[in-house]
Amino acid sequence: MLQKIYDWIDDRVDITPIWRDIADHEVPEHVNPAHHFSAFVYCFGGLTFFVVVIQILSGMFLTMYYVPDIENAWRSVHYLQTEVAHGQIVRGMHHWGASVVVVMLLLHTLRVFFQGAYKKPRELNWMVGVLLFFVILGLGFTGYLLPWDNKAFFATQVGLEIAQQVPFIGEELKTLLAGDPNIVGAQTLTRFFAIHVFFLPAALFALLAVHFILIRRQGISGPL
Amino acid sequence: MSEKKQQVTRRQFLNYTLTGVGGFMAAGMLIPMLRMAVDPVLQESGAGDMVNVGLSVDDITDEPQRVDWNVEQVDGWHESEVNQTAWVFTDENGDIQAFSPICTHLGCFVSWEGSDDHPNEFFCPCHDGRYYKDGTNVPGTPPLAPLDVYEHEVRDGMLFLGQAKSRGEA
Amino acid sequence: MKKGKGMKFVGDSRISVERKPNKSKDYSEYPGRTEAFWPNFLLKEWLVGAVFLVGFLCLTLAHPSPLEGVADPTDAAYIPLPDWYFLFLYELLKYEFASGDWVIMGILVLPGIAFGAMFLAPFLDNGPGRRPPQRPIAVGMMLLAMVSVIWLTYTSAAAVDWESRAEANKPVHPDEQVEIDTSHEGYAVYENSCLSCHGGNLEGGAAGPALTGIEYGADEIADIAVNGIGTMPPDQFSGTDEELDQLVDFILTVNEEAN
Repeated sequence: MLQKIYDWIDDRVDITPIWRDIADHEVPEHVNPAHHFSAFVYCFGGLTFFVVVIQILSGMFLTMYYVPDIENAWRSVHYLQTEVAHGQIVRGMHHWGASVVVVMLLLHTLRVFFQGAYKKPRELNWMVGVLLFFVILGLGFTGYLLPWDNKAFFATQVGLEIAQQVPFIGEELKTLLAGDPNIVGAQTLTRFFAIHVFFLPAALFALLAVHFILIRRQGISGPL
Repeated sequence: MSEKKQQVTRRQFLNYTLTGVGGFMAAGMLIPMLRMAVDPVLQESGAGDMVNVGLSVDDITDEPQRVDWNVEQVDGWHESEVNQTAWVFTDENGDIQAFSPICTHLGCFVSWEGSDDHPNEFFCPCHDGRYYKDGTNVPGTPPLAPLDVYEHEVRDGMLFLGQAKSRGEA
Repeated sequence: MKKGKGMKFVGDSRISVERKPNKSKDYSEYPGRTEAFWPNFLLKEWLVGAVFLVGFLCLTLAHPSPLEGVADPTDAAYIPLPDWYFLFLYELLKYEFASGDWVIMGILVLPGIAFGAMFLAPFLDNGPGRRPPQRPIAVGMMLLAMVSVIWLTYTSAAAVDWESRAEANKPVHPDEQVEIDTSHEGYAVYENSCLSCHGGNLEGGAAGPALTGIEYGADEIADIAVNGIGTMPPDQFSGTDEELDQLVDFILTVNEEAN
């Protein structure tokens, strides 16, 4: 039955070559920790992706309870942490995942850097990777405000003050982020929510797709 | 030949292990999240306390009268006062009856003698649904079930009402 | 797959009629010590992932995610701190060459140079050699950047008393917060002498503990206000005896209400 469904789809879309290419591609010896233990450094990229998946899933579930509104944001977070079964764990995964993803990303970046793996022909993928790095930091910064506790509020205020000091466009930049030239409040929270939940994840998905397609096309860099 | 056969089994073994490890990871990630998501389904519905609706039993007649009262409603992190309404009267046996005004058809508000054409009946204006005085739906009108009944209790001569229940459960 | 003339397609699509068999490559086709991605190598990655996941879940169970009190924009005593991965930028702005008139250095030029160089690394470091000794400048710069970021993060974090910070910022539900009677005659005295450290709602802050739920009597409170206690210096309160009485009465009434 399953085989028939697969054949029916394959007849029309010809998916076999796509996933056979992924499944059957050769993994060289030098990245395989079974042959060289030091190859564990190649795990960091995969682990970064794994934590990103955890972040996406836990974030999706958290929005079932979270409200981006200054009256209710803190209450809803407090409620989901204290009243909802496993809410503490899911928020914990999202909170600590944010830190772990930065750690893994740093290790991955350093691995690529010190191996000089960004050299021709992989310049583009390095640049996509650096953009991913910025997107992740942006997600960390915007996500910080969402629980609407003191830590969130004051750290964001500092961040916005820094944006304000940018020459020429500072004021506009701050207003664009905060939604109001003077108040860090209701409009700031909804903006940060939208950026955190829609805009940056969209950029993240697009960049991740390019990152992976490029790896698949170019193959992993050879041994030093 | 035998060597080739062995290679296939090795691949299958690895595939099973891969599925197992993948399942473990998926479960480890998803179990807390799914448990959180289904939490409202598993919550025991709080058996509502009886609330004094501010109506003395002596004032209840055989003519249905509208009673409004407020209950504290806790909805997750949001607490509010919710208005509730009942039609209260004494039936022919002298027992107190308290009907929910929510039409069992599509949830409109049912009024006693809401239509001049149908005296002595509850009437729903949305689709002309009708109920007899004992709350059963008039056959041939849209509602398919009788009006819900509030649990009631009399304490110190005052009427206390609880949750509205459909007749099937009551 | 055949190309060009004679190739047959499904309907008017670009999908070839000929099916590629859905069979994995035989292991003998992998040269040397290379390995099939699926399932051989992926299994190794997933084993690492599973161990990592267990560790990660243990972390989340051992350390519940922190939540502080609901945001209070009027809380003047609160010292803001960013997440740890922004601490180095935060600390950078404390230096003289990166603040005041030079703030552009701190917020744009230095981070801009660092991250811009990182973004353009393949073009700045465009020699053929990949080994670190073959590209001393790039590696040196990266090491320098790493050391400075770690140093900045460390100095910033070491200056913070994390425990008292967590202690002073417990998540108090807004519905359960102590009502402060600002019309109380002692409140004005409190505002002048104590508020900057102990907070607008007596909730405490970085410099002073909460004044709710204390176990001191009236005389002791008066004594502490004048003579200090622990790290609290003396003479925080300076006023008449009548004002001191009002202050003590104010603190005591708030505590009574809180209980």
